[in-house]
Amino acid sequence: MVRWLTLLFFAFALSARGQEQSSDSISREVKQLFDRCARSVVKIHGRDEHSDLSGTGFFIDPTGTIYTAYSVGGEATNFSVEFGGKKFPARQMVADLRSGIAMLKIDSASPALPIGKSEQLTVAAPVVMIGYPLDLPETPNFGMIAGFDRKYLDRYLTTTHLRANLATQRGEAGAPLLNMKGEVVGIVVSSLENSSSCYALPIEAAEKIRSDFVRFGEVRHGWIGGHLAEAVEEINGSRAEMTEVLENTPAANFGLQAGDILLRVGRKEIHQPDDIIDASFFLTAGDIVPITVMRGGQKLTFNVRAQFHPAAQHLPMLASPGNQALMLDLTKAPDNTP
Amino acid sequence: MDEFDDKEIGRLLRLKKFEQPPPGYFENFLHEFHRRQRDELLRQPLWKIAVERAQDFMLRLNVARLASYPFAAAAVLVCAAVLSLRMYQTPQAPSVAQIQSAVPVQSDWNLASEVPGVMVTQPRPAFNANLSTHRKTAPPRYVLDSMPVSYESTLRF
Repeated sequence: MVRWLTLLFFAFALSARGQEQSSDSISREVKQLFDRCARSVVKIHGRDEHSDLSGTGFFIDPTGTIYTAYSVGGEATNFSVEFGGKKFPARQMVADLRSGIAMLKIDSASPALPIGKSEQLTVAAPVVMIGYPLDLPETPNFGMIAGFDRKYLDRYLTTTHLRANLATQRGEAGAPLLNMKGEVVGIVVSSLENSSSCYALPIEAAEKIRSDFVRFGEVRHGWIGGHLAEAVEEINGSRAEMTEVLENTPAANFGLQAGDILLRVGRKEIHQPDDIIDASFFLTAGDIVPITVMRGGQKLTFNVRAQFHPAAQHLPMLASPGNQALMLDLTKAPDNTP
Repeated sequence: MDEFDDKEIGRLLRLKKFEQPPPGYFENFLHEFHRRQRDELLRQPLWKIAVERAQDFMLRLNVARLASYPFAAAAVLVCAAVLSLRMYQTPQAPSVAQIQSAVPVQSDWNLASEVPGVMVTQPRPAFNANLSTHRKTAPPRYVLDSMPVSYESTLRF
């Protein structure tokens, strides 16, 4: 009996010790990551028509390019960025309401956070956020991925968003969401109902915006022109049925029809109607995208040239010198974009 | 004085008749007069001026008349009311509240719909004017939306 009690005691002691070591290890890892990455995270000041505002951003290349949330860098002017104990004036390069992000730039060399892959994250994967809550200094926050959402409060998001169990505070919009390697996997764009968790735009979506800007000098959200709904039965692993093909759209012009079951759009496989959200977000106006459908038992592939998304055609995606709206010139769209 | 005899003084007085004030003397006379008056006044210490003015005020007010019981009681009541109001007044909420981005859902949009002439596609949520202030001294608005600004109304692509 005494022997059993002794064994039990040691088992408890070892378990407690193990837990302590585990929490120590997490703490050490987060601290190292914070020490390494915090210098690339900046505090952004601006002024919009209502008041001064303050948020967070981070460098993504050594030439001073900054990602932040649209709510911080989208509609304000007179930007300045606090970095390395100094304040630098910044200018807006891109403000994209559809993705919910903005890009700023300072004229100075800067450290930069490496870009990771949000696709490799799984539910319960640990993540770290570094932000500037209120008027406090840069602050690490440790949590985990809680979900990958396409819909929130009866609204479809423009692309899958990362939901992270991180308590966020005002001033942390635009903060980087990092994996445990210190790579950016998302940009914090909003909190949730009680600020106990937050939404982050996956970094791939932000990189799509940056890629458009680098290629064309503007953001080009693409559009095919079809409506989807769930099919009664699954065909070839997909339930995404085209219910409507709108007139004078690429879908109609390139031969897609109502009743087609979508199997693939570009590189994205389609299984459910929801899958179109990501496929659609990554379309670029002017680019040719292969679309594979099932029609009458046959698998057909159409090469469709995407048009400007209607939500983008009249939207000031590109920041002008005075942050004024610029109409996108549709005639500039090249015939064959790379 | 010995060096000036009557003759000398008479000559000086005659000369004085021809003396003219400098240009602008009469135009600036009133201004100059007030300036000198102020200078004279400010030679006294400020506390002295304040005491004098208070004395003048009290004399005009006829304090003796107010020293009666009903006036004293009324004054105490007014003071008590003012103090209690100040004590129970709740402080104003800080002006840095979260921005609500309740964007209305456009469920019936299609390509056939009229496109508005304004250069926005998804209406930006209106700011609550109470949440912000234009004063330079106010703290900035610390930004974090309560929901993503981007959304799609239907499954279209």
